[in-house]
Amino acid sequence: MFLREKINLVAPGEPSGRAYLSVLRSRWRQVFSSDRAQTPENQLLLARIFDRQACSPELQGLTSTLKSIRQRILANTVFHGWAHWLVWVSIALIAVAAVSSKLMGVLVFVAAVAAAGTAAVFAWAWRNRPSHYETARCLDSASGLQDRLSTAIYLGGIQDADGMIFEQRKDALARLGKVDPRGLFPIRWPENSKRVAVVVLVAAGLLAYRIQHQAPLVSLLRSTLRSQLVQSIVSPIARALEKDLQRTMAMVTMKPDAAGEEAQRADAASKTDDLWKADGKANAADDQKDAADAENQQQDQMQPPGSQEGPSSSDAREQDSNQQSQDSKNGNDENESQSQEQGEQSGPEGRQSMGQSLMQALKNMMSKTPNQHSNNRPDQQPPNGQGTPQSGNSNQPGANESDKRGDSKGNSDAKQKATQTASEGAGSQQGTKELRKDADLHPVNAVPDRVALEASGFKEQTRMKVATETGAAHLAVGNVSPRQDAVTNGAEQENIPARYRFYVQRYFEHADDGKQ
Amino acid sequence: MTSSLGMEGHAGGQPLGEQAEFLADKMGEVRREISKAIVGQAEVVEGVLIALLAGGHVLLEGAPGLGKTMLVRTLAQAVAQKYSRIQFTPDLMPADVIGTSVVQENGDGRKSLGFQPGPIFTNLLLADEINRATPKTQSALLEAMQEKQVTVAHTSHLLEEPFFVMATQNPLEMEGTYPLPEAQLDRFLFKLRVPYPGRVDLHDILDRTTQGTTATVNAVVNGPQILEMRKVVRAVPVAPHVQEHVVKLTLATHPENRENLLASKYIRYGSSPRGAQTLILGGKVRALLDGRYNVSLEDIRALMLPALRHRIILNFEAQADGRTPDDLLEEIAGKISVQ
Repeated sequence: MFLREKINLVAPGEPSGRAYLSVLRSRWRQVFSSDRAQTPENQLLLARIFDRQACSPELQGLTSTLKSIRQRILANTVFHGWAHWLVWVSIALIAVAAVSSKLMGVLVFVAAVAAAGTAAVFAWAWRNRPSHYETARCLDSASGLQDRLSTAIYLGGIQDADGMIFEQRKDALARLGKVDPRGLFPIRWPENSKRVAVVVLVAAGLLAYRIQHQAPLVSLLRSTLRSQLVQSIVSPIARALEKDLQRTMAMVTMKPDAAGEEAQRADAASKTDDLWKADGKANAADDQKDAADAENQQQDQMQPPGSQEGPSSSDAREQDSNQQSQDSKNGNDENESQSQEQGEQSGPEGRQSMGQSLMQALKNMMSKTPNQHSNNRPDQQPPNGQGTPQSGNSNQPGANESDKRGDSKGNSDAKQKATQTASEGAGSQQGTKELRKDADLHPVNAVPDRVALEASGFKEQTRMKVATETGAAHLAVGNVSPRQDAVTNGAEQENIPARYRFYVQRYFEHADDGKQ
Repeated sequence: MTSSLGMEGHAGGQPLGEQAEFLADKMGEVRREISKAIVGQAEVVEGVLIALLAGGHVLLEGAPGLGKTMLVRTLAQAVAQKYSRIQFTPDLMPADVIGTSVVQENGDGRKSLGFQPGPIFTNLLLADEINRATPKTQSALLEAMQEKQVTVAHTSHLLEEPFFVMATQNPLEMEGTYPLPEAQLDRFLFKLRVPYPGRVDLHDILDRTTQGTTATVNAVVNGPQILEMRKVVRAVPVAPHVQEHVVKLTLATHPENRENLLASKYIRYGSSPRGAQTLILGGKVRALLDGRYNVSLEDIRALMLPALRHRIILNFEAQADGRTPDDLLEEIAGKISVQ
């Protein structure tokens, strides 16, 4: 701010180099050419001069009084500083006596430090002792003499004073006789003397205790570390931390694509992890129990009552459950093979990336969508009546079943058909058996579950439309070329991605139906 | 050291100690004589006496009817000095104050220009409502106050010592006034605020002024004695720590002093060296009036407000915050450590 003001003063607008130099020069002068008479060191020097100068004989009484006051002030200062130092030395002594096993050397060191500190305190107090002039000012202030004594000491070097100085000395000495300097400046114990005494007593007591015993803090720590309670608390925490660390390291060293699958696998088999191998045979039984519990939990989660899992996954679960039960019997050595089987259970889909899965799902949807749309039309034959493994969804076998029944019964009520679809599609045994046969006949597709998820959502919306407006929707099955009126914001349908093309086309067809 | 303090040991044929005692006694008598006519206002009376002995002038600020004119008249009677009063008005000209040259006819009928002294040629001058005169007239008076002489038609005329001006101004009616410039305010030793009397003092005023009794003020000292007292005052010693306190206090009022944030925030211009001179000189007088032979820190604290309140100029921020020079000085003095 000062710089800115100076610059504005010298040259308003752009600061020039000379302005900066001027400011620097002025700052330099401010720092280094200040009045040295104002510094405390020089004031101290000035006070020493008053001590050295020969005082007038008339002021002998004043100087002797000031000398005794000065000694009292010095004694109070030494006591105060020494008490502070004693507190710190005692605290250090307590700490050392509580920790250190060798007491003698420490005691000698502490005694040396205490002696050195005491000497330093005394030297500091002696160096900063008040001069006669400062003592006179203190006495003036304490006794309300309105700077009479300090002025007399200031003028004390004048011999044979007369006139105003003589009157001033006479006045000061007369006033000095009316005050009690020793009562105004008593020797006082430090304000924290009680605290000092307590700390010193504690230190002395601890030293007396150490004569016969070991360091109390060390023995306390040792006994604490040996206790079973601490062992029972600390050891599981340490093992859990070690396990987490190893798992984290294993995940870090894996491939990025397989990291997510491995994380899921690690979560599922967290209790069957082979990290407990390092703990030895004592932990083997616990690990087996943990592994069995984890598998049971996993089976419970994967086979809920009325589950809507597809047949392929259910077959895999049955196989896995058998294998896992065998694995749990075989103990820890088969945990690795179990994890490998879990990896095989996830199969190719576990090793494919998400982008590949999506691309495959789109291809399947493009190839199957006309058939799926045909399922919504009761008057058309489904080209692929059997539930395909690609569906992997309970809706798919249910839908195929309804299609079959639709073929046999002809145009039945749509609501009844939907009810049957819902009831039979919910993980029915019949659909499962048929799909199991299909699974035996056809090779397992690379991404059956992913395709089913994408396609089922789309088809489900279509079926919902059919259920409410039976026969009203006319979906273009064969001809999917864009229509002239299907232009949105200047973008024709060729530019729309394939996965949205049918949706957009169906949207405009519905609009046409509404107009009609 | 003795020469630097100006202590010759004797002045006026008597020892300085005796003269100091004489001063204290006489000023005590003057106080008592003034108190016959002026009820209360002890601080104002003390300030006026200190300024008289220090050789300065006083600016009294107070509402009408508080006895400012009465004080000057009573003081003139107590010190046996000539007294004159000028009522300052906007049409008052400098010649009306300092005098002018007029055509005079001598005994043989010859005419010549002669100087007709104005009312300023007196010992005690009351410049009543000085802020109502134009700056031109004000400056004529203030030049006489500083130089103790007036110049008319290339001729300088010395004013008779002791020359003591007491100017008054009314803080209420500021419309149509010409506030004194800061440079001219600096020439007043003290600016004293005349307070409204208290309940007891007001009873006493009513008793004295409404019962037909007139107080008779006796002359206690004369002009030459006052001049001798001024010399005695200069001989009072000052301890270095007291002088250091005065210097620090004066410097602390300057906004350039970065250590004092209060001054840099609220003060536009700080005290001039005249402020420090006033503090020391007034402290010496106060010490002698108190029966001491040395200046104490208590003297400096007591004289700080009347000596510095008109020498600092507040900035707009201080006026916006409602700060006054008195409370700013009190805060500044409270932050200064006594070395």
